Parts: sequence; C-alpha cells; structure tokens
Amino acid sequence: MAYVNGPLIVQSDKTLLLEVDHEQADDCRRAIAPFAELERAPEHIHTYRLTPLGLWNARAAGHDAEQVVDALVQYSRYPVPHALLVDIAETMDRYGRLTLSKHPAHGLVLTTTDRPVLEEILRSKRVAPLVGVRIDPDSVAVHPSERGQIKQTLLKLGWPAEDLAGYVDGEAHPIELDEDGWALRPYQKQAVENFWHGGSGVVVLPCGAGKTLVGAGAMAQAKSTTLILVTNTVSARQWKHELVKRTSLTEDEIGEYSGTRKEIRPVTIATYQVLTTRRKGVYPHLELFDSRDWGLILYDEVHLLPAPVFKFTADLQARRRLGLTATLVREDGRESDVFSLIGPKRFDAPWKEIEAQGYIAPADCVEVRVNLTDSERLAYATAETEEKYRFCATTATKRKVTEALVRRFAGQQILVIGQYIDQLDELGEHLNAPVIKGETSNAQREKLFDAFREGEISVLVVSKVANFSIDLPEATVAIQVSGTFGSRQEEAQRLGRVLRPKADGHQAHFYSVVARDTLDQDFAAHRQRFLAEQGYAYRIMDADELLAGEA
Amino acid sequence: MSTEDQRAPRSLAAALRARDDTSLAALLRARPDLITPVPTDLTQLATRAGTRASVVRALERLDRFALQTAEALAVAGDPATYDELLALMAGDSRDRAVADALPGALAALREQALVWGDESCLRLVRTARELLAPSPQHPSPTGLGPSVREATAGMSPGRIQELVVAAGLPSTHDSVSAAAALTALFSHRKKMAALLAKAPADSVDVLKRLMWGPPYGQVTADPAARLRWLLDRGLLLPTAPGTVVLPREVALHLREGRAHHTAEPVPPAVEALATHRPQVVDATAAGQAYTALSTVEELLKDWHEGGPAVLRAGGLSVRDLKRTAVALDVSEPMAAFWVELAYAAGLLASDGEADERYAATPEYDEWLERPPADRWAQLAQAWLAATRTSGVVGGRDLKERALSALGPGLDRSAAPEVRHRVLTLLAGLPEGAAPDPEAVLARLRWERPLRGPQGRQNAQPPQSAAPGSPGPQGSPGQEGDDDLRSRLARWTLTEAELLGVTGRGALSAHGRALLGARPATGSAPAPATAGTGAGGPSGPGDKLPAPHRAITAATTAAAPLSPPEQAVATAAAARLLTPLLPEPLDHVLLQADLTAVAPGPLRRPLADVLSVLADVESKGGATVYRFTPGSVRRALDAGRSASDLHAFLAEHSRTPVPQPLTYLIDDVARRHGHLRVGSASAYVRCDDDALLNEILADKRAAALSLRRLAPTVLATRSDPAALLEGLRAMGFAPAAESAEGDVLITRAHAHRTPPRTAPEPVPDGPPVPDTTLLTAAIRAIRAGDLAATTPRKPTEDAAPLAPGELPRTGSAETLATMQAAVLTGEALWIGYVNAEGTASQRVIAPVRVEGGFVTAYDHTADEVRTYPLHRITGVAELADD
Repeated sequence: MAYVNGPLIVQSDKTLLLEVDHEQADDCRRAIAPFAELERAPEHIHTYRLTPLGLWNARAAGHDAEQVVDALVQYSRYPVPHALLVDIAETMDRYGRLTLSKHPAHGLVLTTTDRPVLEEILRSKRVAPLVGVRIDPDSVAVHPSERGQIKQTLLKLGWPAEDLAGYVDGEAHPIELDEDGWALRPYQKQAVENFWHGGSGVVVLPCGAGKTLVGAGAMAQAKSTTLILVTNTVSARQWKHELVKRTSLTEDEIGEYSGTRKEIRPVTIATYQVLTTRRKGVYPHLELFDSRDWGLILYDEVHLLPAPVFKFTADLQARRRLGLTATLVREDGRESDVFSLIGPKRFDAPWKEIEAQGYIAPADCVEVRVNLTDSERLAYATAETEEKYRFCATTATKRKVTEALVRRFAGQQILVIGQYIDQLDELGEHLNAPVIKGETSNAQREKLFDAFREGEISVLVVSKVANFSIDLPEATVAIQVSGTFGSRQEEAQRLGRVLRPKADGHQAHFYSVVARDTLDQDFAAHRQRFLAEQGYAYRIMDADELLAGEA
Repeated sequence: MSTEDQRAPRSLAAALRARDDTSLAALLRARPDLITPVPTDLTQLATRAGTRASVVRALERLDRFALQTAEALAVAGDPATYDELLALMAGDSRDRAVADALPGALAALREQALVWGDESCLRLVRTARELLAPSPQHPSPTGLGPSVREATAGMSPGRIQELVVAAGLPSTHDSVSAAAALTALFSHRKKMAALLAKAPADSVDVLKRLMWGPPYGQVTADPAARLRWLLDRGLLLPTAPGTVVLPREVALHLREGRAHHTAEPVPPAVEALATHRPQVVDATAAGQAYTALSTVEELLKDWHEGGPAVLRAGGLSVRDLKRTAVALDVSEPMAAFWVELAYAAGLLASDGEADERYAATPEYDEWLERPPADRWAQLAQAWLAATRTSGVVGGRDLKERALSALGPGLDRSAAPEVRHRVLTLLAGLPEGAAPDPEAVLARLRWERPLRGPQGRQNAQPPQSAAPGSPGPQGSPGQEGDDDLRSRLARWTLTEAELLGVTGRGALSAHGRALLGARPATGSAPAPATAGTGAGGPSGPGDKLPAPHRAITAATTAAAPLSPPEQAVATAAAARLLTPLLPEPLDHVLLQADLTAVAPGPLRRPLADVLSVLADVESKGGATVYRFTPGSVRRALDAGRSASDLHAFLAEHSRTPVPQPLTYLIDDVARRHGHLRVGSASAYVRCDDDALLNEILADKRAAALSLRRLAPTVLATRSDPAALLEGLRAMGFAPAAESAEGDVLITRAHAHRTPPRTAPEPVPDGPPVPDTTLLTAAIRAIRAGDLAATTPRKPTEDAAPLAPGELPRTGSAETLATMQAAVLTGEALWIGYVNAEGTASQRVIAPVRVEGGFVTAYDHTADEVRTYPLHRITGVAELADD
C-alpha cells in the first residue's frame, strides 16, 4: 500500500469520513473541526461536511485555505481529489473581498478589494435597498440598521463580508462567577472562550450539559447588562435561580419580562412569547431591545427562535450575541439564518463525548413497537389523512405498554411525555399521576415540578410544555407516547430531560412507544435520526416481548 | 558543372542536388508528402516541393520563429543576403537572442527546402513567397505593406516626379529610377530621420498608427493637411480611390528595421507553477485512475439492461447524455468524455439490432476480469491514440449539424499528436511539477503557430482608429485562443487529470511511462527550453533548429510511439500503477444509524450485493450506504432471504451488526410477500369446497387449467366463456358473475357487425365547383389555348408546321434562340418531351439559360419551370401579332 493509513476519507460530495477508532482520530478531529461541520457521530465513522459557510467561518477565525488543504491532505487515507482542493481554495478566496467597517462620516461602509465584486453585488436587486451612496469606486455606504440584513444577503450571494465594525460595549455591570464548590467544566470554559474570541455565535451542547453555565460564563466575561431570551416563564425562573446561585448577581439585579411581570433590570430575562406578542399589527414589547444599552444578548434554545425575532436580531448586529442550543436542527431548514444572524457555531461537542466525560448520564434508548388491534387497523386505514397520525399515535395498546414500563421502573422518577392531551389525561388517570399541560398554571407547574424533584411524586405525565429547559435532574426514565410528527429536535430535547447526571451514576432510560406499520413508525424513524447520528443506538423491541417479559 | 554547383545553385533543384543524403532524408522526413508517390528525379522533387499544397503544409508545421524568418524573407529582396535578413529579424539594435537563433531557423527552412541559396543570396521558394508576401487581399502577419516600387507601379510618371521633388530629391528621367530614388531615401535611416523631423506632429502620429499594420487606411477625397503632407512626400501612397498604404520601407524605418513587432526566437518556457511531492502526484493520479475505472464500470452497469438508443444519424441523444451525466454525477462534457473513452477502448458499441441501442461489448466482460492497472492501461492507451475528441460534443459541424457523443464527425486527426506533445511538455518538467496551462498553450502556439494575421494577435500592438483619419482596415479576427490545437491541448490537460495520467497538474510516474519515457530517476530537471538547453545554436551550419534539438534532448519521446512501442510503454505504466491502486476491501463498518461505510473500494461481489441491499449515499474513496426498508425489500425481491442477508452482513462487517439493522431486515422480511399478486382471467367460486374438489379431480377439467387459490376459489387463465362452456360440458350448471358479484343472466346475443358508417348518398351529376376551382380551371384553359393558337413565325428553311406538330430545330439553334429570347424577353413556342417520353407543346418566356437547362416562365402551366435543353425538340418564335 502506497497510502498513508490516515483516519480521514475525503468523499467527492464534500463529506469527510473520520474513523473514530483510528489512533490519529483525535488529532485529525482537532485539525478539521475549525472548518468542517460535524454532521453525524455514530459509533464508528463520524461524518463531517465541508460547506461554504464553514469554510468562511474558518477564514473569519483566521484560518487560510492552505491550512485547510494541509489538514485534509495530511490525514486523508486516499488522495484528495484535486477538484475539491481547488474548490476549497476558491470558496475561501471569496471571503474578505468585501469588508464592513466603521466610517467617521458615513457610519458604516462596505469596502472591497476587488472592484468587479462590488459591481456585481450592487447590481443585485436584494442589495440595492440596503446600501446608500457610493463613496468612491471601492466603497459604498451602508445604513447602519441594515448591518445584519446586508451580511445575510451577501452570504446568500456567495460573497460574505468580513465584519470589522466591531461591537458596542454596552452599559457595564459587574458580574462575576461565584465558583464556590463547583467550577466551570473544561468544555464549558472552552465554549465561553471560543464565543468571546469570536465575538458572537452559537454554542451547541447536549441537553443537561450545563448550557446555563456557559451563558453565565459569557456574562461574567462581558460584565455588562444582559438581555436573556428564553422559551417560557418556567425556564425564565430557572435561569434566574441558577444565576443567583452561580454568580455574584442578586435577585434584585435580575428582572423578568414576561406575560405577568415587566421588570427591566441590568440582567433581564424575557420570553420569546412576550416579544412576539402582536397587538394591532405592532410588536409592543420590542422596545425592550432598546430599553437599555445591552452589552450582551443571550438566546436560549436558539433552534426555537421564532421568525419575528430573526428580523429584530438582524438589527442588533452591533451587540454581542450568544445562542445556546442542544440541537441545531430545524425542520424549516432555517439553521443557516441562525448562523448568519446570531453568528457561526463557536463550539460543538458530540453528545457521546460529553457522556464519556461523565457530564451527562448514559442513556439506553428503546423503541417499543406496538401492534394496532385489528379493529384499529381498519379504522386507521379509513381515517382522513390529517387524522391518521393522531389515530395511530394514541392507540390504546400504547397505554398498556406504558403501564407495564411504569411498573417495571417502579421506584424511579418517571416522565411520561406525549403530544395529545386526551391521551395524556387518560394515561394520568390510569397511572394515577398528575398531568402538566398547556392549561396548567405556572404556579401549579412549579409546585408539581418541585414535588417531582423532591421525590414526592414519582410519575409525571407532561405535554410538550415540558420539552425544553425544564430542569428535572432526578428523572431517570422518559416514556414518549406521541410527538410532534417527525421533529428531530423534540426527540433530542425529550431525551435531554433524563440526561442530567444522576447522583449515583445511574443509567437513564428513554422509551419511545411507536405503533407498528403506521405513520407513527415513519415519524419515529425521522425523529430518531438526530440522536442516531449522535451515536445513540436505539434498540427496537416488540410490545409483546415487553409485556411477556412482564408476565 | 559540379564546381558551379558548389559556388551557387541556380535553382531549388540544383540546391537539392547539392545536398547530401542525410540532409535529403531529413527533408523527406519533415515533408513526407513529397514522396507520395516517389518522384522520378530531383527536378520533380523540387517541383513538388514548390507546389502550393505542399508548401502550405510545410509552412503550417514551422515553429513561430522559423515562420517569422520565412515571413521576413518574403518581405526582403529576392534574393536576400543573410545580413539583410538579420536586419529584418533583429532590427537596427541587432537583438542578440534573435541573432543567435536566426541561423538555426534558417537551417530549418533550408532543410525543409523552403529556402535555398547561400548566405549571399538566400531565396525563399516562390510559392512560399507568394503565400507570405503582403498583398492587399492577404495582409502579411508582419503588418507590412507593399514596397515603394510595387505601390508606385501604376502611378503616372508626373505624379512620381512630384513626389520625388517634394521629398527633396532631384527629379529623374523615368519612373523606375524615381521609385528607386525614393526607396533609397526611405531606406536610409539618417536622411529619413531628417525628413521626418520636419513632419508635423500629427502627421507622425498617423504614421505611427499605421506602423505595425494593417498598413492600409481610408482617406477622403480632400485629405486633411497632416495627411496631405505625407501624401505629397510619398510617405503614404494611394492604392485605390480613397485608400492609402504605408510603403514597406517607411514602415521598416519607423520600426527600426524590424519585420515583426516582436521576434520570438525563444519558445515560451513551460515552467513549474507549483511543485508537489512526486509521491503526492502519483497517489493523486492513482486515485483518479481508480475513479476512472469505477466511472467506466458504473457507466456500463447503468447501461447493463439496454443502453440508450442510437440516433438515426448515429450517436447519443442529448437527453441520454444528460441522463448519463446525472447517473454518473458529473457534468455533461465529462459524461461525454467517459462515454467516448469507453467507446474508444472498445468497451461499448451499438448492438446493431433493428432497434439499435448502445451496450457493453464482450470485450468489456474480459476487461472487467483484468487487474485494475491493466484495465487502466487499456483506457489510457485508447485515449492516447484516439482521434475522436469528446470536447467537440455539443458543438456544430460545418453543416450546422449538432455533434453528438458517439456520433459521427468527432474525429480530429491532430488530437493524438497534440496529446502526445502536451504530455511530452509535462514530462520535460521535473517530477511533481505542474505547469501553468496557459504556458503550455503558449508553447504549443509557438511550436505550431497559425499562419495569417489571426494567429498573431500578440504581434500587433493595441491600436484604435480615430474617425476621419486613416485607420486600420478591418481588425484581425481574435480567435487565436480558440484554434483547434489550443482547444485540443486544453482538453488534453483536463482529460489527463480525469484519467489519472496527471495528478494535481503534474505528470505522474505511470503517465511518464505511458509516453515511453524512462521514469525520471532523480531530481535533475530536464531542460525544457531552448537557449537554456544543451548548448545554444552554434552557427548557420546547424541542420536542426535549436528548439527542436532541445526538445529532443528533454525527452526520449518526441514523436508518438509506434503501436508495438506503445504496448510496451503501456505495460510499463501498468506495472508502475499497480502498487498505487488501493487494495479492494472485503469488509464494511455497520453503524446503528442504519448506515454502512466501506472505508475503501470493495471487492466486486460484495459491492454488487451491497448496492442492492442499501442505497449509496456518498461516493469517493469510501462509500457510504444507507439501509432503508425500500432497499432491504429490493434485496428480498432479488431473491435473498432474511437469513441470507443476516449471514451476509455478519460475514462482511468488521463490527457487530447493530440491533436496529437486524430488526429492520426481519421487519421487512416479515411483511415481504405477505400479499401476493398474480393474474387470472376467470375464477370459479363455490361455498361448497367438496364440489370444487370434485371439479379439480375431474380429468376433463385439465384443459381448463384450474388452480386453487383458496378452499372456495379456483382460478384459471382461460376466459370466462370457455370456462362456462367447459363446466357445462362436465355436467355442472355454473352461472356467470358480473364485476360486482351479481349473477349475470345471459340471453342469446343478437348478432352485430363491428362499427360501420352509413353509406354516403350518391347524387345525380357532379357537385357544383367552388370559385377557386373555377378560376384555376379557367386560367389553365386560357394558357393551353395560348400555346395551341399562337401564330408562329414561319422559318425560312422549313415548311410551316402543321398544327399539333412539334417544332424541330438543331440544338445550336435552340440554344441561340433561347439566349436571344432571354435578352429580348420574348416568349417562345417549344416542343418538349418529358421524362415519360410524352411530347407536348409549350409557350415559354426564357429567363436564364445555363448548365444545359433553361429556366423560363411557362405560359402553358402558368409558373416558372426549368427544362433540360436536351429534352427540347425545337423552338419557334411566336408570330408577331
């Protein structure tokens, strides 16, 4: 063999296959991480992808094409196709032809080092409304408010602009981490550092891996007033609780801006819901963004960022932005908008790697397939298309399986998660467990969660309100009976509910109960893809087997 | 005689006669067309060497500097001295490089019998001179105009005298000496400088604009003062009304004696643009070579069950090419390349059936069995020698027909030679060095320049014609970059990379071997350029021009190899390639996300099975497969059982088979074949299965071929009527059933015909004609009338014709009368015998007589027709009314 036996295989479709068990795998991973996007991380071969965005981010972070090519050539097992190398060089060369910078007279200007490029983009209809006067042949003024828009547009045109206009520092506010009896984990430190070095961006960490602390760490770095955007009120309270506990901030310094309370304090936690409330065609709460000179804006669960917030975010390009998420997959495919508006991915850790370090609990994922009864099959076959999923997802057999599972794990803290309220109510009745759903008041929710945490209740039936950000460290078993169609991130988030490390290093269990040969099964397969690609191997069991094992 | 020969040959024949055998052999090698057929003597050889076709061919094969030398000779005196030539080539400054290279170029021209005579009287072969000398129709690449003598040839003596006087010379007694005086003045640098010093600045600008050609300019009837100044002194000479030319001598003065803007004595260097480690180059090329093999395999696998149809005109339709490109995941030009490559290598051809399709040849099956390196060698050898070029696919031929892949018209005979030359140039570089493709093209253009102005865009400085002043007449076509050889060279570079002959732009070791060159042993860079090459040109005695010698020194293979040599070289290349190709693997890695990764090429049976069992997600060095219910079902459909599949995966997986995959296979297998589909044309059903048993057992039922589908159902392929009849014959009383399951009560059918239309009514007499028909009929009648009744002029020598008799005249007379009628526009009465031998009389008005045909307006038929003259029995004029 004339080949260097490297761990990397470069495919012609721009994916990189990394053999995990190879002795050089770690070196290789480090070498390619700055420019290649980790796409899948199953047990043996991880797949990375080369995208223009990834290559440009690498350029922005100071890597050049030569380094990228060297990394590929050095670790590649087979010769790297020449065309691919040429393509990389060409793509990376497109970055930095245009720069956005501050100008004493015009505020913000777009300058080019390559005049035809400027001509080309100015001719685009989408760029025209965003720019002002042509200052000289090589530069054009940009309305400062369009900084985000123009960056996004240029990215789509394939000529990403290097943003040298910098950030405003915002109103200073002292924030320190209160590392008493705990410390930021190495990967959390790394994430904060990467974010701060990059200016703005997204940090991707598995559920339960301590994203809040990364946020707190970033705040301690910024030492300025901070606006935190979260998904719901319960989550807002948890953030507040955690910040009071982990930082020098006091209760009085943290405000909650939600449906019920409208406090604006140096650190303000707002919900997406209140921001996107619309009255008479206007968003009345938008002034929140301007109410203080924020030095840092934190987006929790950035994969849920609602569309209107995208628009506002575009106007906030002068402020530092940090997005936090476990699963940057959106079924609407707007991941790239997140990257272009919040910023590139600054840190990403594969779930299994964090698990190996012991920071999240190992999980056993099982898909239980139940059979529809004959009468149900007939009814399913004749159901209206839009009713089909609901029908198969709420089959009565699932109840039996859920009950059997609850019995099997009696004594452990169990969450039963589902989509359909009727189904959940029925389950709650049979399992004799409280149900938390949309109509449950916040006070009641908190009460029940507390009781669950304390171990007073061992089984909790929850609807999708509990998908995110609910910190229930003691839950060890999750049983999913139905979901939002094929949502990959929901599946991951639900698994995340049981991944907080257990006091006794206990294994977590995640059961997904699925009706065989129906839409439910197809959706389940899609939902599991994210986790499967993260290396979570689902076992598949037949319900009969499970029930038989019981008897 | 011989002493005379040695002094100075008087003709090309004499010059050839004086050459020794080696030198003659060199001539014949360079111009093989001279010996086909073998000439009887040297005079004949010389004559043939002077024929236009042969000279053109020889000129086209000159390198740029030799051609420039020939062009310079064409504008020099005849004969010219070496010094005169040197002045034209090297200019007044006596450029060293040019002066050094000139003897070599001259030697090359001599060898090719384009130039003869010694240094004191160099003669360019007359045909070559005619081809290269500037004339208004064929502007010379030098951009020079006619000499003063040529330009003043048609001028009135008085005018010439005026010019002479205006130029400050004494007047002479005749035009010839006047022209000579002007020539002498214009050629004299100092006097000329003095003359021009007096010129107005804008006049000098005009001269400068015309200086590098084209030398012609337009003037109005009343030229501006700056032009008048020049015209008065003969610095511009009129050639035609409104056109003036800059005489050659003036231009040469302005150019400081140079015939060419830039003499290019040294071939453009092909230098390394980037240098990679030779191992990297070889590995990359080998990787690509492997890709080439798999692409060809994939192509033919795709065409396995009936390839695309052959177009009626031959070739592959655009749609099929697109489809193939999509299937191979390459661009269309690349798809065309692979298809043509497989064709050239004899791996695919049309099947020659009535419904003609492309398919793999038996040779393909043999090819598949060979080791990979040999397979590659076969492709590479076919590629090197092929004259078919896929690059032209998608273009149009001279008749505007689209050129399709595998179709006719793709042969470009220069292709093998260009390919070889390009690769040889690459081989001239050190190992691992990749040249700039543009440099390679420039070098090729230097070695084989296009003759004529369009090949020389770089010989002409940028210029602009100001309105109202003499400007260039037309601009030379800028197609220099797009000539066939350059395109072929470009394609060669791309294709060599695709095929893995080169890697990262540099020639690989196996590519080198393919050329027959010994693999370069060390880092010693072979000299690739003349001048820096082994020794400079040593003198006029050199038989080989310097660049040629340098090339020969650089590589051992300057010319395409003969087939046996090529076979040896190819085998050597295959040997070098073998260790570089990846070893096929016999295992994959299975993962829980239902993918399988083959971390390298797979052994064929394994790859075949896996490609059925799973969908290919990503290709390249490795292959990623994904298992889906659909793909597993495909495998089950192909006749494999679930246990087969489990065993197969367990055998070939390096890692434990993940539970979800095992489950997937079992789950699909569980449902596979659960529903069965078949066809039957009739059934028997009965609630009593005993009765059905009885029917099945009955021997008479055998003819009905009944099959039991369920205890109460029998099915058959016979039609329901036959089944009913058969069962009745057996003594049963079956009832027919409708599609809805009702019992059909059948009565005897009334007999019916197939659909028929009602008969058309037949009216008494024909229908009333419409107006159009009537008008047409009337016109025809009138025309026939004219032909029959026109009174004819009685001919003197013949009796008046009886009515209905055809006129008879001799062919000469017929022709003459016709031609006269064309001039006068008169109508004639002719007798005409058509192709069937039927004679008729017609009245025609001839419009044109040529090529044995007369085109005429035929009054009888009321349209313009063409008649062959030989079918016209005779002609008579119509009588005047």
